[in-house]
Amino acid sequence: MTEVSWSRRGDADCIRLTGLPAGADVQVRPGTAAALGGLPPMAGRLVRDGAGLCFVPRFAFLDGTAYTVAVDGATAAVLIRARPDRPATTEVTAIYPTAAEVPGNLLRLYVWFSAPMSEGYAARQIRLAGDSGEVIAGALLPGEHELWDASRRRLTLLLDPARIKRGLASHWDAGYPLRSGEPFRLVIDRGFPDARGRPLRAGAERRYQVGGEERRHVDPGTWILTVPPARTSEPVQVTFGRPLDHGLLARCLQVTGPGGQPVDGTARIGPQERSWQLAPGQVWAPGPHQLIVDPILEDLAGNSVSRVFDRDLARPEDEPRQARPVTLPFHPR
Amino acid sequence: MGEFGLRRGRAELRSAGPITFGPAGILFLADNAAAKVFAVDVADPGPAGGSEPFDLEDVDARVGSFLGCEPGDLVIKDMAVHPLTHNVYLSVQRGHGEAAQPVLVRIDGLDGAVTDVPLDDVPVAEVTIGDAPAEGDERLDITLPLGDEGEELQVGERKIRILRQPIRTSTVTDMAYADGALLVAGLSNEEFSSRLRRIPFPFSDEVAGSSLEIFHVSHGKWETAAPIRAFVPYDGGASILASYTCTPVVHFPLTDLTDGAKAVGRTVAELGAVNQPLDMVSFRQEGQEYLLVANTAHGLVKIACRDIDAQSPLTEPKEPVGVPRETKDLQGIRRLANLNGSHVLVLQSDDAGHQHLRSLKTASL
Repeated sequence: MTEVSWSRRGDADCIRLTGLPAGADVQVRPGTAAALGGLPPMAGRLVRDGAGLCFVPRFAFLDGTAYTVAVDGATAAVLIRARPDRPATTEVTAIYPTAAEVPGNLLRLYVWFSAPMSEGYAARQIRLAGDSGEVIAGALLPGEHELWDASRRRLTLLLDPARIKRGLASHWDAGYPLRSGEPFRLVIDRGFPDARGRPLRAGAERRYQVGGEERRHVDPGTWILTVPPARTSEPVQVTFGRPLDHGLLARCLQVTGPGGQPVDGTARIGPQERSWQLAPGQVWAPGPHQLIVDPILEDLAGNSVSRVFDRDLARPEDEPRQARPVTLPFHPR
Repeated sequence: MGEFGLRRGRAELRSAGPITFGPAGILFLADNAAAKVFAVDVADPGPAGGSEPFDLEDVDARVGSFLGCEPGDLVIKDMAVHPLTHNVYLSVQRGHGEAAQPVLVRIDGLDGAVTDVPLDDVPVAEVTIGDAPAEGDERLDITLPLGDEGEELQVGERKIRILRQPIRTSTVTDMAYADGALLVAGLSNEEFSSRLRRIPFPFSDEVAGSSLEIFHVSHGKWETAAPIRAFVPYDGGASILASYTCTPVVHFPLTDLTDGAKAVGRTVAELGAVNQPLDMVSFRQEGQEYLLVANTAHGLVKIACRDIDAQSPLTEPKEPVGVPRETKDLQGIRRLANLNGSHVLVLQSDDAGHQHLRSLKTASL
């Protein structure tokens, strides 16, 4: 009588078989379907283990999967690899933009999670919905390529650019994904699995009002600088005319001191991504400083310092600007 | 392999991504988690392939069975055909999240047998993909790692392990080898730009490669950068046809690809509303070169290269025409590759979500 059970060999899980007929053919396949016979057996090797044999897989058994063990072509056992019952601890920690109102041609949203997530679920677990709960179909850019940061904690969502860009078939036929004056919500379902396969502690959502289109350059010349007194550690603050992209804000602004060296300190992005400040690690030196703006910095609609998203070729004011950093001088006194 | 700078070692693939063949049976594998491209000599053992078709039903279930996972736990990321043996290579992800494992799978073009291609002791070279993270971008996300990755820190009396990883990433959406260089299209998770990188092969430490930012003009009125979703070199690598996430099909000559240049591609067609291009391939029929584009919504589109060259840029809004094209009523095709001169191999999903490898006869396309 052949007996089949889960076992361990070295530091790997294996399937242990005892009471096998001499020279028996052993094959393991994932699943329980009757049609398994036509599929190739799972890669692995049979090794002698005391009185029995162990099937050691080349690729580790997966939690939540059943494995059918066939001996000489007949099913000898179905072993189920239990999924550990672990409590849900991962949650959505932030959704950007945080502005209450976004432009009708909003391009990008970010969702931050408290722990690494599983890839491949965003299209099913995240959606834009109207106030009555109906899904705004085709609003988010579909695709096989999910845009995660390297630690799989920040997910970037793009609204379908084909519907935002004027003159394209998608825009003409389907229109903007969002409509001015019609609020919407970004909804993240509780079922979005984290990297360990657990659901979130709770779903999350953020509601936005939708304003008009934004199709102007980001113009640092219009920003308002609040200059700190010299020999203090008060922050220098810059206020923008409109909310800017949270991801880019965190890396596109830099302050340099009188000698041109970077001023280290603690940077903060202000409410609704409308401002940014830097508290220096040491007191401000008197003398000329500069706020240096990387021209790739974008607003919520993908307009940057150097170019307007989907620019109208007939508007000279929308022509691309220099690709060099823009500097805003200030002078702590 | 010395001539291509490959050295025996381990291709430490962290994620499965796009793959494409280069010279001498060298396979390029993009790893978006590690922001690298590996060049691996796959040492294909097969004899030279013929011109027969190759079909394999339920390829997802077959590969899953071999790897010990249900089809739902298998993601086929890309497909390539060995230019000499015509064996089929699949870049797959087995499992999800923490359990996800990238595997390179070979399917024998003669009998459909499935094997994995070990990557731990192979002739290999690697290159880091340009702008991830950017110079001066010191932002790192610090997390507690799931395994034993990262570095150990002493916090009071405890030792903890932390992992610092870049927040800005660049995701490779398609690759092709042409004229001594690997062309890489990608999508940033922050700024909206369209960069096509040209990385000379053999890879070199000194030459990071050049990048070209490509814009497209809609109907002579609006100009935008747009990330390339799929592209194919044709005309012996002199030209590229690219399809954007927003579906215009854009032509530009490869000679424009000088470092830091901005090029405005010639929009030669639109593939229709609410549609995403998935893959492109070129093939020959009666001495003429043609391109096939697989789409999410509009079936398989066939375009003659001679029509692309003759097509003037689209200038009128609501002008759906562009280059003449034929649409094949073949739904669910996600990937395309040249199988041999006579057939194009497709990876096709049916209504139930099962995936199959099927050959389309080029003479009948």
